[in-house]
Amino acid sequence: MAELKLHHIYKRFGNVTAVGDFNIDVADGEFISFLGPSGCGKTTTLRLIAGFEKPTEGIITIGGTEISNAEKGVFLAPEKRGIGMVFQSYAVWPHMNVVDNVGYPLKIQNVSKEERLQRVMKMLELVHLKEYAERFPNQLSGGQQQRVALARALVAQPSLLLLDEPLSNLDAKLRESMRFEISAIQKELGITVIYVTHDQSEAMTMSDRIVVMSMGKVQQIGRPYEIYTQPANQMVADFIGLVNFIPATAKGDRIFVNGHETLSFPNPKKLAGDAVIAVRPENITISKTGGMVEGVMNHRFYMGDSVDYRVKVKDQIIRVIQKGAVYGTYHDGETVYLDFDNVMSFAKEE
Amino acid sequence: MKKSLPRLDSKFVVITISVLLLLYFIVLPLLVLIYDSLFIDGVFDISNYKDVYGKKVNWRALTNTVQLSLIVMVASVIVTFPLAWLVGRTDLPGKKTFRTILVASYMIPPYVGAIAWVQLLNPSVGYLNDFFKFIFGLSKAPFDIYTMGGLAWVLTLFYSPFAFITISRAMEKMDPTLEEAARISGSSPLKTLWDVTLPLMMPSIVAGGLLVFIAAASCFGIPAIVGMPGNIEVMTTRIVTFLYMGDDKGIRDATALAVSMMIVANGLLMFMSWMLSHKDYTTISGKSTRPNMVELGKWKWPAFAVVAGYAFIAVILPLTSIVVTSFLVSMSKGLALDNFGIDAWIPVITSSQYMESVWRSIGYGIVAACIGTVLALFVAYLSVKTNVTGRSIPDLLVVLGGATPSIVIALALIITFSGNYGLNLYSTMWILIVSYLVKYMTMSVRTIAASLSQVHISLEEAALSSGASWIRTCKDIIMPLVAPSIVAGWFLIFMPSFYELTMSNLLYGSDTKSLGVLLYELQTYADTQNASVLSVIILLIVLIGNIILNKVTKGKVSI
Repeated sequence: MAELKLHHIYKRFGNVTAVGDFNIDVADGEFISFLGPSGCGKTTTLRLIAGFEKPTEGIITIGGTEISNAEKGVFLAPEKRGIGMVFQSYAVWPHMNVVDNVGYPLKIQNVSKEERLQRVMKMLELVHLKEYAERFPNQLSGGQQQRVALARALVAQPSLLLLDEPLSNLDAKLRESMRFEISAIQKELGITVIYVTHDQSEAMTMSDRIVVMSMGKVQQIGRPYEIYTQPANQMVADFIGLVNFIPATAKGDRIFVNGHETLSFPNPKKLAGDAVIAVRPENITISKTGGMVEGVMNHRFYMGDSVDYRVKVKDQIIRVIQKGAVYGTYHDGETVYLDFDNVMSFAKEE
Repeated sequence: MKKSLPRLDSKFVVITISVLLLLYFIVLPLLVLIYDSLFIDGVFDISNYKDVYGKKVNWRALTNTVQLSLIVMVASVIVTFPLAWLVGRTDLPGKKTFRTILVASYMIPPYVGAIAWVQLLNPSVGYLNDFFKFIFGLSKAPFDIYTMGGLAWVLTLFYSPFAFITISRAMEKMDPTLEEAARISGSSPLKTLWDVTLPLMMPSIVAGGLLVFIAAASCFGIPAIVGMPGNIEVMTTRIVTFLYMGDDKGIRDATALAVSMMIVANGLLMFMSWMLSHKDYTTISGKSTRPNMVELGKWKWPAFAVVAGYAFIAVILPLTSIVVTSFLVSMSKGLALDNFGIDAWIPVITSSQYMESVWRSIGYGIVAACIGTVLALFVAYLSVKTNVTGRSIPDLLVVLGGATPSIVIALALIITFSGNYGLNLYSTMWILIVSYLVKYMTMSVRTIAASLSQVHISLEEAALSSGASWIRTCKDIIMPLVAPSIVAGWFLIFMPSFYELTMSNLLYGSDTKSLGVLLYELQTYADTQNASVLSVIILLIVLIGNIILNKVTKGKVSI
């Protein structure tokens, strides 16, 4: 079946390490997202799996077969890997119509014309493009071209599907609906998916597990809930969701907030010395009467379903988001009190 | 709104003046030419054409031209497509250098190339022929340049850069993920080339091929130097021969031939731009990753050898031949160490007649380039930056001039500006300069327009809303951004004008003999050494021009 394994994968371009020591075991039928800022190595890793780049070190196996082993000099060409892939730019061939585009992988496999057409139509039905079979790409919208690319990637029933930021060129509404469509198709076909994105909400909603990457290194691999609630380090906490970082000092089993000698939190990671307290804006409660720290209301932004406050505590601005709050409850310049919940702690990063 | 009213008026004045100028100097001569070919003494009469094509020698010239141009077109595409692919899409070693060398032959004047190949492959004393005779112990020279084959050879080497530039530009613009999508669909690299790359490149391949066809058919220098000694006539050499006759009949026959050439050339170019506007896939591309270079593996060095061999034959060998010949003490003694010296250079450099031609051509080039750049700036600005009705008419007229074969332009200017239509420029420097402008302004307009169109309107609006006047905006925002393209546009007119032969050869007078004409005469009078010295001088000036151009535009534009 289609378990995918990457063991100690390195990719260097000259002196630059684009991917350093990437390890993951992907189970059959799992949906994995590679998430990170641009230039973090996520697309390079995807291209290593596809076979468009050769790993400098390490082993890649699909379903138990080694497709790439730098030490042994094994490297299977992309066309021999049996992978489906959707590109960021869609890469729908402009000189072929929809049927020919989608049917191309089958044509390469010498599938008979009747069977080809039948399988292509089935795919087009899956992506809701049946009426567009005879159209050429320049007669299709971006979203429709995206579906053609998806149908083409799936038509040969690959065991592994790679998606390289497939939704980043679509507008916001379409992006959201395509998100659920891709999820639904994945569930229906039970296919293993590697999904590259820089959009955390895409990764959060679709994935079984997320691989957070930064500067060529895997920062954390985990389920969306784990990544959000137990980020492995400051970078992950910062990249996923919103967060306030507050300088602190760890002593024994407590971490003391700098400048607030009486305010301290537990130290489950047994940190010592300079540390950082992290708390998400929605985990802070605001009140007029009392709390852990005192601050001054600096700014308020009305967001419709919530109010986004900036509270000045000593010389730091703390962001607080209150769901369903009323804009006029507080006034700029008013003294307010904050309570922190679900506080995370990290060693100080340079 | 107050401010925009007088501006619209000044734009209208500029548009009117430039349209009138272009109509007078481009459209009128071509119309006069067509009229003269169809009307004799004001009566419609196609006997001209019947006469001309009734003669075997003319018919022969036509079939020769078509045959040669087709061979050159097909050969160029067959040679250039793999070259463009190897240089653009693979890990071929030294591909940047190859690219420069292959494009470089574009800046060598074609007749200099012809002179070089005559030196290399003429049957009596060609360097290469001698070399082959020596190596293989042959009694007879293996090659004769003065044949259809020799002509096709030289034309292909010097006009294939047109195809190379067109095809490799399209290849660079193509989204590489289109090929990757085929690979991941299970297709091998070779099948991908066939199924995806080739069909996507087809419009550019056809366009490049047509450019080569038109250039080869319109060329005068190469057939005159390589074809004439072997009695091979083509359309351009026939037209010149008719004109040399000097009588009315000669001119009428020449017009009939010229009009047929013009219709074919402009027709093909119109077809080409129509096709490119309808089927240009290359502009469709999203954000793409770094292009994935095809790894040649074990073919790396064989491919390197083939490309290096081609670059050597196409560019290095002929240039070396010219330079070496210019430094021979005596042509008859051949290549020997004690036979090298600057003996041939001294009489050329000290000859006031020769040096006058050099300075004259530089002067004409500068005058043409200055006038042309100012006009090109107006034309480009009108067509790109305004929405005045008819803004693209001047641009179209300039394109028409550039698309017309040189020989046709020259003939049309002779007929029109001999005094019958207001101006008599015959035998003056101005008729030469007008001809250069008609032929070469289009490249300059293209370059400046491309650069202007990249200056987004919001940049101008930002300056206006910062309080700058329109003139101030031009000075502070637009000019600095397009300045490199203006310099480039200047050189794109200067360089081809400076070494122009085809039109100058028909339009020069006793006091206006240009460098190209002088060189051509020297070559026809079999004074190869002086011709080589002058060729080296031309090449040096072109080289210096190109280096400046490269510096100014940071490598984006070159000839």
